[in-house]
Amino acid sequence: MTEMIDNAVKVENLEKSYRKIKAVDGISFDVPEGEVFGLLGPNGAGKTTTIRILLTLIKPTSGSARIFGMDTLQQSDKIRQISGYVPQGISVDGEITAYENMLIYSKLYGLPPANRKKRINEILEYIGLADRAKDMVKTYSGGMMRRLELAQSLINRPKILFLDEPSIGLDPNARNAMWEMVRKLRRELGSTIFLTTHDMVEADTLCDRIGIMDRGKLVVIGTPNDLKATVGGDVVTVSAKNASLSEVIEQLGYQTIGEPSNGTADLLVKNGEKAIPRIVEAFKGKGVELDSVFLKKPTLDDVFLKYTGSRIDDGAGWAQAKKTRMTYRRMAK
Amino acid sequence: MKLKRFITSMLAITELELRKIRHDQSQIWMRLIQPILWLTVFGVTFSAIRVIPTGDYTYLQFLTPGILAQSVIFVAIFYGINVVWERDLGLLNKLMSTPAPRSSIVLGKSLAGGLRGILQALGILLIALVIGIDLILTPLSILGMLVIIILCGICFSSMSMALASIFRTRERMMGVGQAITMPLFFASSAIYPVSIMPDWLQVIAVANPLSYVVDALRSLLVTGDLSGLGLDVLILVASAAVLLFLASLGFKRMLV
Repeated sequence: MTEMIDNAVKVENLEKSYRKIKAVDGISFDVPEGEVFGLLGPNGAGKTTTIRILLTLIKPTSGSARIFGMDTLQQSDKIRQISGYVPQGISVDGEITAYENMLIYSKLYGLPPANRKKRINEILEYIGLADRAKDMVKTYSGGMMRRLELAQSLINRPKILFLDEPSIGLDPNARNAMWEMVRKLRRELGSTIFLTTHDMVEADTLCDRIGIMDRGKLVVIGTPNDLKATVGGDVVTVSAKNASLSEVIEQLGYQTIGEPSNGTADLLVKNGEKAIPRIVEAFKGKGVELDSVFLKKPTLDDVFLKYTGSRIDDGAGWAQAKKTRMTYRRMAK
Repeated sequence: MKLKRFITSMLAITELELRKIRHDQSQIWMRLIQPILWLTVFGVTFSAIRVIPTGDYTYLQFLTPGILAQSVIFVAIFYGINVVWERDLGLLNKLMSTPAPRSSIVLGKSLAGGLRGILQALGILLIALVIGIDLILTPLSILGMLVIIILCGICFSSMSMALASIFRTRERMMGVGQAITMPLFFASSAIYPVSIMPDWLQVIAVANPLSYVVDALRSLLVTGDLSGLGLDVLILVASAAVLLFLASLGFKRMLV
């Protein structure tokens, strides 16, 4: 007898349309149990919509999604019971204490009364908030609030954890603390983690595999290293105040990622360190004096550029999320 | 088992709302100011000029149940704003991702609206006693009053939540709340008997759940004539059921 081991997530031809817009446009992928999987893409790519379908919060227009073999349309209660969710917005109530937030959710997940107190204290201890458990959440910093949200999502010991932009709106310290926490969860509890992010560094450091999403479509999927290898070399960024930069590049026969703009171009070369002197010479030979030359190993941003033709714009979403949180704390006070 | 889960979720939501009130009790005291003014300024003035026929009872006696009901609906009718606010923040999103049935969330919230009404009702009752309004206060009449107040809170907070799913922004909900509270209040028997209203207003008053709240409270606290109480309760329970159903339907729409 062979036993089928279900994937943690199995998505087939998933589609979600709102009137004219296709938020999710026919995506398919699998996430094996125990993996940290990330959907990387700009705002509006359809990442959050995908998470919400997986969590049974909204219904897909067509296609199917299964969590540990359970259909999101037919077994929503069971899926919710084994899932943890940290939404992009705010999910803890500022007007009660951290302990109370945890207590209410322990009841909503149907934890037996005898276990509640112990479990809550364990999780708060684990997440490093035990000493602030009795404080009102509105007195928390953004990073602490985010950690409490993570704690709250662990109350039912989820088999799969959904993190929607886990570090959005956090300052660099809080962001690092959040990442450390996610790694710890993965290391110590072995949870399957499904996250979305527009932050390529986050995707690179946290995820085993990444799916790049753009305008509702899943463009490419793979491990960070495999994806970066597909860029096909190192990236040498050259800039010069010369309008004919793209012509010169064409004449010299260099490959670029994306189109040169604002007098800057990303050249794709093998062995970047050794290529730089030759590049400078070659441009000089064409009468172009380069202002700067910059070498970098390919990043996921380059991968994104290669597959979608544009860079991930990360300005607006971050600022917006931070602002929402600050407004919330101010209003709660 | 399913029922037990439903009740646990519902009570957890109610508990959440009540804990918030416990942490910030000032809102309860603030909400007592308006009813005090209605009783001490409006009530006392209209008693003095004797323009409203209230039979064997003083105008203040007649008015007190109306003000009790009013204080509950004025809070409950804005309940939907909280829901919109929670939706905007993301709290609702998180709440809906738990296994708690949606209807238990709605019921839990409106039950909290009702229980909150109780705190206010007790405050107003105390004030009524202080200014010497003669009311029937037996354990049974007070218990009856509490039940009616809870039903009233459930009715109007569900109405507000159902409206919130249609209007969807806090600003619009402020407007909607203000637009409907006064008509609800004036087209009921809260401050004058239905019998002195023009015919068209009487029709509205009969369809207005608030009239039955006031009627029930008046028979419990003022007249002691409980013959109509059964019908009042029946109508209130039915209204609550319909409004809860509409609010639960609306809750789904809130998330899309």
